[in-house]
Amino acid sequence: MALRELNFTFTPEDPRPFPLGWSHRGVVGSGDMEVMFEQADLGGQVQVKVCTPVVGFDEVWERVLDRCIKESQVSDVSIEINDNNATPVVVAMRMRQAIEEARKEAE
Amino acid sequence: MTVEVMIGRGRDAIDMVVDPGSFHENQVGDVTFPDDIGPGAVVGEAAIDGRDVVVIANDAQAFNDKFPVVYFGVIGLEEAYKMAKVVYTTIKQDADKPVGEKRPLVLIVDTPGNGPGKIEEIFGMNKATGSYQLALAEARKSGHPVIALVIGRAISGAFLCHGLQADHILSLSPEFGTMIHVMPITSISRITKMDIERLEELSKENPVFAAGPQFFYQLGGVDELVENVEDMRPVVARHITEVEAAKLAGDGDATGPMGHGTLGEERGGRMMRRKVIERMEDEFASVAQRYL
Amino acid sequence: MSDWKSLEAKSFYGASARERAIGIVDEGTFTELAGPQNRMSSPHLPVLGEAVEWDDGCVTGVGLIGKHPVFVISQEGRFIGGAVGEVHGAKMVGAFVLARQMYDRIKEEHPDELAERLPAVVISFETGGVRLHEANAGLLAHAEVMDQIQESKGKFPVISLIGSKVGCFGGMGFVAAATDVIVMSDLGRLGLTGPEVIEQEMGKDEFDSADRSLVYRTTGGKHKYIMRDANYLVEDTLGDFHDQLTAIMDAPYDEIVKCRRIGSEELVDEQLALAELSVEMAPKDARDVWAYFGNEDVDQIPEMTTAEFLAVAKRR
Repeated sequence: MALRELNFTFTPEDPRPFPLGWSHRGVVGSGDMEVMFEQADLGGQVQVKVCTPVVGFDEVWERVLDRCIKESQVSDVSIEINDNNATPVVVAMRMRQAIEEARKEAE
Repeated sequence: MTVEVMIGRGRDAIDMVVDPGSFHENQVGDVTFPDDIGPGAVVGEAAIDGRDVVVIANDAQAFNDKFPVVYFGVIGLEEAYKMAKVVYTTIKQDADKPVGEKRPLVLIVDTPGNGPGKIEEIFGMNKATGSYQLALAEARKSGHPVIALVIGRAISGAFLCHGLQADHILSLSPEFGTMIHVMPITSISRITKMDIERLEELSKENPVFAAGPQFFYQLGGVDELVENVEDMRPVVARHITEVEAAKLAGDGDATGPMGHGTLGEERGGRMMRRKVIERMEDEFASVAQRYL
Repeated sequence: MSDWKSLEAKSFYGASARERAIGIVDEGTFTELAGPQNRMSSPHLPVLGEAVEWDDGCVTGVGLIGKHPVFVISQEGRFIGGAVGEVHGAKMVGAFVLARQMYDRIKEEHPDELAERLPAVVISFETGGVRLHEANAGLLAHAEVMDQIQESKGKFPVISLIGSKVGCFGGMGFVAAATDVIVMSDLGRLGLTGPEVIEQEMGKDEFDSADRSLVYRTTGGKHKYIMRDANYLVEDTLGDFHDQLTAIMDAPYDEIVKCRRIGSEELVDEQLALAELSVEMAPKDARDVWAYFGNEDVDQIPEMTTAEFLAVAKRR
């Protein structure tokens, strides 16, 4: 059962470009994940790649990520996630932390 | 071809590798080692094709009465320090000899592990196995050819201790039941929750987790597989010559663990190792000035 | 990035590998090398369906302590127990290679300031040793690290920091033993055979791995300090580890290497004598050893704070 790769694209309504060149958060502990945000010229869109050992949660991933991007309206960023069985709550929290801290750091 | 299993026969292997009757147990130059310390390790001097060598082997038949976890070839506290002491003694005695005349160290490997007990941990088994490795590395770097020959079991930390610091590592081929691994595939299967059949299938493509000398060969951790017991002596002798030539040429990283890293890439087994080191060198080059 | 000053107050035990890497060198001096942006993760884990991490559980980089360039290796226990695979091991080796290059360069460019600019390799251990998913490559990497430690001898110090959750066990236990200096906190644990493995191989009567206090008595910082297997015992903050490192690097190299416990014939003689003493002493527990070396109230030792312990501890 090789690792699975999921790819998503999102289009926020009120795009707020990611303010840093790159930002990395998290550790791939059990039930946790790491995430890398990298600025990208995506015309207001967001690309997400998730690498996960878990099968059958494609829709859950899409919903969690979609909610997160709606909430932050982050855009023009390529997001990569290395997941190790993180729960939706952890995913949402890590994403929010990364975006908020990047915005704070960019100020 | 005769398949003569050598597991548990460290003493026989010494006789098969060195010149007949040349092995003097517990004697290294003018130093005599006590026979009541570290019975699981057999040490002494001998000759191969008339040239003096120092031999360090496991005796899987011996029991160490002082340390009850030591039998079956286990390297305990006394064994590891005795092995280290033999190496330092050899280095000291040959200190004034030029490279090319320093005595080779021949390690005959058949060990299932390091001493795993409570006393061992209280007194620091990690120091014992560490000290033997440092001694071997020092011998290798000061010009002694160090050749390891796996005749039986070379398991995990015990192989690191007794074998993996050698310049060149040889192993009897898998037909002899030779075992080189960290854990058997059954344990890997339990930990990774994958079927043994699937793991065996995967190991054909990728040698990094499977048990056996052929996989270590692909990863560069074994220089040569020896197909017949009769070949043990000539192959060891040839590798002594090859290693000595590399040392005389002055390339310290051509043999030993770093050399085995290069070999692992040449054989397609470890393809990331060099890339990682080079990436670090590249990135550091761009910031080095800040640290000078 | 976390604020360095607040990092200094943070528990070393609970800090991530990256926080430790940043916090053990001087403020604002750490540069990560082969960091997550490089995505140099394990090529072997995906095949087995195992999650990867871009730094492969090993943060490497360079910082300063005073004028000393310090090459940092920091292991992350939350990622597969900090276990060493091909990439993780290569990063460790890479740090040594860079330190040696730096040493040569300083010798050439600043020959008069070699002492104050002497580089070091500092390893913040959090590992059980070989990563079983890529065990063979991990084992071979251990041998390379040992080779690199020997190669560093006579040039620059290699220093171990042990105080993280997973401790330092397996093959990395002897890697730590082979370094010049070992700094531990009370919460640090160091050994070769992990508690679970001893129990598995020898039975619960020999070693009950669930008995936390037994595990700490046998492998913990205070025991290792009494045995002189740890040279320094410090409080559990990043700042205390940083301060101890600074004090070590302030000393001349010839003084630093006196901390070694193995690595020469004389030290092997000393350790062999200790092994013989273990037979004579036949301790049932580490407490018997503490008492043998002159410590009173051995039952109280595990309860003492680090400061209380340091004030009364009698060492080997």
